[in-house]
Amino acid sequence: MKRQIPLIIIMTLGFMFVAHSFIPHKISADFFDWFQDWVKAISPFAVSLGVISLFMVNGTKISRKVPNWQYSVITLAGLVFTALAGFIWGTQSGTPYMWLFENVQMPMSATMFALLAFYIASAAYKAFRARSAQATVLLLAAIIVMLGQVPLGAMISKWIPETSKWILNVPNLAAKRAIMIGVGLGMTATSLKILLGIERTYLGGGD
Amino acid sequence: MKLTYAKTGLLLFLMVFSFLLMPIPSHAASDSSSYIVENLKAEDIPDDDGGGLVLSWKPLPKEKRIIEYRIYRGVNKDTLFYHGKVDVNVKTGVSGDVMYYYDSGYNNFVDLQSPRKLKKEQQQSEDSPLYGSYPRDLKVTGPQLANYQILGVIPEKDFLFKNTKIEVEEEDGSVVYAGLKLRHFSGLYKKLIPGKEYFYTVFAVTESRSYMPYAEPIIGVPIDNSPEKIQNLYSAYVEDQSIMKFEWVRSLFTSDQTNHSLYLLKKSDLTAFNNYIDEQKKAEIDPEFTTTLENPAQLIFQRYCGYPYTPNNTVEVEIVNGKIINDEKHINVEVGAIESYLAVFSLQDRAGYETFSEVSSFDICNSAILPDLSDVWNVADRLNDKGDYNVVQWGKPTVFLTNSTFLNEDKTRILVNYDVYKNTKYDKIKNIFFNVFDMAGNKISTINEFYQDSKLKVNLNEPSQSVKFEMRIVANGSTGEDQIFTQSLVFNDEIKSLQPGKLFLNGKEVNKYSYSVYKNNYSNEEWRLSKKALGSQREIFDNVTYRSYIYKGVSKFDAKKGLFLVSSSFSARLDDELKNPIMTDLYPQEVTKTLDQYKEELANLITMRDTTDSEAEIAGLNANIDAYQSQIDLNENNSILKKAAEFKNKRARIKFLEKVKTIASRSFKYKIVKSDGKAHFSSSDVYRTEKVKKLPFSKAARKSFTTLGIDHFYPMPNWFQADKFPALIATFIFGFMVFFMIKQAKKGKELYIRPIAGIDEIDNAIGRATEMGRPILFVPGLSGISDVATLAGLSILGRVAKKAAEYDTRILVPVRDYIVLPIAQEVVKEAHYEAGRPDSHDKNSVFFITTSQFAFVAGVNGVMIREKTATNFYMGMFWAEALIMTETGNTTGAIQISGTDAVTQIPFFITTCDYTLIGEELYAASAYLAREPLQLGTLKAVDYTKFLIISFVIIGTLLSTVHATFLINAFPEK
Repeated sequence: MKRQIPLIIIMTLGFMFVAHSFIPHKISADFFDWFQDWVKAISPFAVSLGVISLFMVNGTKISRKVPNWQYSVITLAGLVFTALAGFIWGTQSGTPYMWLFENVQMPMSATMFALLAFYIASAAYKAFRARSAQATVLLLAAIIVMLGQVPLGAMISKWIPETSKWILNVPNLAAKRAIMIGVGLGMTATSLKILLGIERTYLGGGD
Repeated sequence: MKLTYAKTGLLLFLMVFSFLLMPIPSHAASDSSSYIVENLKAEDIPDDDGGGLVLSWKPLPKEKRIIEYRIYRGVNKDTLFYHGKVDVNVKTGVSGDVMYYYDSGYNNFVDLQSPRKLKKEQQQSEDSPLYGSYPRDLKVTGPQLANYQILGVIPEKDFLFKNTKIEVEEEDGSVVYAGLKLRHFSGLYKKLIPGKEYFYTVFAVTESRSYMPYAEPIIGVPIDNSPEKIQNLYSAYVEDQSIMKFEWVRSLFTSDQTNHSLYLLKKSDLTAFNNYIDEQKKAEIDPEFTTTLENPAQLIFQRYCGYPYTPNNTVEVEIVNGKIINDEKHINVEVGAIESYLAVFSLQDRAGYETFSEVSSFDICNSAILPDLSDVWNVADRLNDKGDYNVVQWGKPTVFLTNSTFLNEDKTRILVNYDVYKNTKYDKIKNIFFNVFDMAGNKISTINEFYQDSKLKVNLNEPSQSVKFEMRIVANGSTGEDQIFTQSLVFNDEIKSLQPGKLFLNGKEVNKYSYSVYKNNYSNEEWRLSKKALGSQREIFDNVTYRSYIYKGVSKFDAKKGLFLVSSSFSARLDDELKNPIMTDLYPQEVTKTLDQYKEELANLITMRDTTDSEAEIAGLNANIDAYQSQIDLNENNSILKKAAEFKNKRARIKFLEKVKTIASRSFKYKIVKSDGKAHFSSSDVYRTEKVKKLPFSKAARKSFTTLGIDHFYPMPNWFQADKFPALIATFIFGFMVFFMIKQAKKGKELYIRPIAGIDEIDNAIGRATEMGRPILFVPGLSGISDVATLAGLSILGRVAKKAAEYDTRILVPVRDYIVLPIAQEVVKEAHYEAGRPDSHDKNSVFFITTSQFAFVAGVNGVMIREKTATNFYMGMFWAEALIMTETGNTTGAIQISGTDAVTQIPFFITTCDYTLIGEELYAASAYLAREPLQLGTLKAVDYTKFLIISFVIIGTLLSTVHATFLINAFPEK
């Protein structure tokens, strides 16, 4: 029963939503909207699961004094402090909560994002090492595309921007679309497997 | 970094200290009186319906770091409720010397989000008059109903079925109302009452959310003004048809307008007319002023213009035998030589004020110059929808150029973008032929666009200042020979490119005229604008909403029962002449009671008429007698009301009336006006069809709608979206293949699956972690559970966790989405149980970090570095954070296997990971690992479907090359 009831719910609702995409009727649209409202209502309850998990994991680390347990103290202090700031003073502009968001959260996120530039440079170096014929082709294509995006490319030759455009619009786009078709079919197949109860791993366990 | 107690303490101290550095300059303000706003004024808004005031005050300087101004309003200065706020950018402040706040129109009064009880405003002293917004508590809110015009917007179903009958004793006896709870209102809105005094105050809020002292409350009195003057009136006289045509630009403020009127004014009377207007203005300003002059202009047309719809702004007045006659409006005007007249338009409002336009001379013209409206047009229910659109379409498709770009430096090759306006009747465009001419008129090339991708490339012999295009569309059997479009691309020196000029159809400018589609239903007297379309457009979709509301004034309440009281009567529809509403009541007894009152009133009027001698009084009484008699006849003889009276069951009666209301409000008739915007217009008749569509209404419900389906169109919902038919077929084919291949696999047929290195290496990667004695990291993507990639990732997690449990290796699963968290926990737990190692399961191995994207990455990177994970799996949906995680994993020396369907992240994974599952391989992985017939069969079916798609792509390409586009056109575009 532990498996069967969720499976019945998934299969019934799944097929109803498949039917919904082919039925534009008001009854179908209303059912979809009604269901969406329920999803919105249920989602906030799941937040508590996340918070409990965070407390359990970090609480255990603190109580067992595992190495670097002090980080957990800071994590939990940050969580409690931010939540309290929001509950006590609200989340409007000018409140401590908003100050924390704008002056702590946002700069730290921006810092992490900024690291991406260096990681891209590092990844590009790895990718463009001409160790094989394919890697050499990749390197050449990359040089042409990069030059094609800047005025220097057009100054060297009028064919560079043209070739760059061609690389992006023909071989690159073709490969992208091939992946997209594969992804689309893979998604459909996975959805079908879930609807038919063939794929049950996500319910916990394998078969 | 190794943290000690001292370091942790220091970190915490820094956190708290940095918080204390939060800018709180306003706290330091020693003199809060300097924060009081100055020059606060409340002035009447001109040209309005008396429901608006504009507040103004001098904003505080930028240095005061104000983030908002809060406005409070009340009917006495001791109790002011929160009304609204104006946000200010704390960094830039307010640039002007004066700030304005418009308190006009209907704004929110009270709703379910309002506070339960009345609360004193924050940071206020005991004697402060400032309170929060109106609460839901009827004891407080109820008495406020008398201080405003309150409009209740009630969903029709709630009004009809969720009301409570309430009897209230009033001066004239007992009156029945429909009581409704606050939750039954879609909204309760308030508006100022003209002539009533309102008190206002404003205070500033600083950056640290300190509420500064409020300004001394001031008084404002809204005044009902005459309507706004319209900007332009155009008049034309079509000599050969003896028709006067008028068109005007609508005014912006329309809320209390009631009538559109047109007057004829002799040119010799212009001075007298101006004097009359001046006198009317004086009377408006000074109610004591007595007017003496009469309007010298003669009324020739008048019609009701009901708010809130956009009314028709064109009028035709016919002159028959030198006269304009309209018995209903008592118009009988003799018209002489049209050159000696001027036209004047006026707007009248509910208070009786009238605003005249500037006078306009007639443009005397001939019908030949009027736009041609001979295009065949029709109205139909739009297909493939939920029944909320009618489509109005006309003419044949149009093609036009939209832009061009030079493709080479010589400017001899151009990419031209074009577009097509088509309609459902002419939707199958086979070819578009483009003939291109140079400046000298020599044909440069002929292009046949057999597949319309909205762009074409043209080679010019030499750089040109102008290129002319001649275009023809072949569609639905029409060769398009009768519709030749011409348009030129002309060099624009400012943007250095060839830009499209005016579009001509058979030599006539297409966009000189525009189409206005008007509609009307059984519930409204006036035509309203549905949509306006360019001269080149060929159809409009008219939205016919399902949601229907009842609008009721709310002035009474029942505090004990928590009900707002509204009138229980409502209109089912207008009568056949669209003049009188067919009124009925929620409660059948009230219908009888109202009828009895009419009869009693009629008897009184007849007695009064029989006992009076004054002819004027008799005429007035006769008019009243006629009005009551017609109401009584309507109540006794109308088929809707008669049928409603037959119902014994109250709910069945209301259901019947609801059905009637639905048909009346959702059935529309249409007409088109084609105009140049300056009174040269042609107007169509109402569209009628002989093919009457069967509508699913009972005979009783549709009995009174004799023209339904003939000229009134009711959009019906569809049960199948026909344009998704290819998708349905494809789904069935795919489904069949899945079943077939599963059956084959079950029979034991060997199904070849291409080896995928990334999946083959999963076992080795887990083994490596086991040998090294370090944990495995598994990230199931950053997306939610509704993403199929996440589900695929969780499936792989199950297999990996099982293997890890078998090898007794720790697995760490950080999760970003809190709905994915319990599922991932369950997957890992079950995997351990299946492997027979429940003892090795650590419930904290699957844990939530945060929903913030980059904070999550920081957390995962921390886990990698601290736990020294030997193997990292990234399976699911990833965005910009992917590279940060995998590069960190790379530096820690972990073996990394990734899989994603995010095309933009695949290159980063390939570069930084040891193995990558590209796109569909992610979805195949679970089946590959399971090696079960059911899973393998599905995988094989995907391969065959892919083969089918590739076949279609190749065949479609070949067919298109030989100009056969039927296969491409068989598939929907998107």
